[in-house]
Amino acid sequence: MPHTARLDRATAATLVAASLMAAAVALIFFYVPSDVDQGYSQRIFYFHVPIALTTYTLFAWGALNAARYLWTGREDLDLKSYVPMHLGVIFGSLTLVTGSIWAHISWGTWWDWGSRELNTFLIIFLFYCAYFMLRFSVEPGARRSRYSAVYALLGVGLIPLSVLAVRIAQDALHPIVFRSNGVNMDGSMFLTFCVALAAMLSLAVSMYLVEMRGKRVDERLAQLRRLAQEAA
Amino acid sequence: MIDESAVRSVAAVYGIAWVATLAYVVILNAKLGRIERQLDELAGILEARSGDG
Repeated sequence: MPHTARLDRATAATLVAASLMAAAVALIFFYVPSDVDQGYSQRIFYFHVPIALTTYTLFAWGALNAARYLWTGREDLDLKSYVPMHLGVIFGSLTLVTGSIWAHISWGTWWDWGSRELNTFLIIFLFYCAYFMLRFSVEPGARRSRYSAVYALLGVGLIPLSVLAVRIAQDALHPIVFRSNGVNMDGSMFLTFCVALAAMLSLAVSMYLVEMRGKRVDERLAQLRRLAQEAA
Repeated sequence: MIDESAVRSVAAVYGIAWVATLAYVVILNAKLGRIERQLDELAGILEARSGDG
């Protein structure tokens, strides 16, 4: 039977992510005008906010799979919960670093301890960093999967709190872009933001698919080694 | 006239994002290297076994 080359999901997602990323960078540097208030530094917004929203999405995705694991007991859902958490911490670190640089240029400080938005994000980030300490302190197996799933679910309640914090704290330095009466930016800025968000989300999807593939290969390899050693 | 410190900050943000992506590729590459070594080990076990047989 002839073997037909087929584009796998991870490669397809990586190609989509690369194309969207190129489009986003082109729009950010060659199309969108500088903001009247913040000037050139406002361009950080097109990377920082999509990275932050991707972090929330990954944590929520991981928690959803954790809930599905607890509901069904399917083993693959444990890995499908762990990988988004792992990626969420990577994206979360980037959110904190890019946000601090933006804060420094806009507010003249690296961090504002009075901002509820920043502090609730930091709490979520640290909460999910501790997820790994819990996970790797328990022997692999059903117990570890169960503990990890419960912990992942506990943290997800903090996500809406973090998103709403900026609206609750009216005096915060952190700007509010998405209001109940619409988006607080012009059409070209909104288009650029949407493309950058799509790029970041597709990057996360491609990283997820690649990492899942790596974990599956690892598992199969370990299984083969056990079989070979038993047979030897 | 574009503020120079603003350009530096924007460059830092985009640079960090690219470095993080590259670091991810390097980690994946290291992982592939480990898988390759394990496959070699596995092939060695199977070859030794077929030699015995």
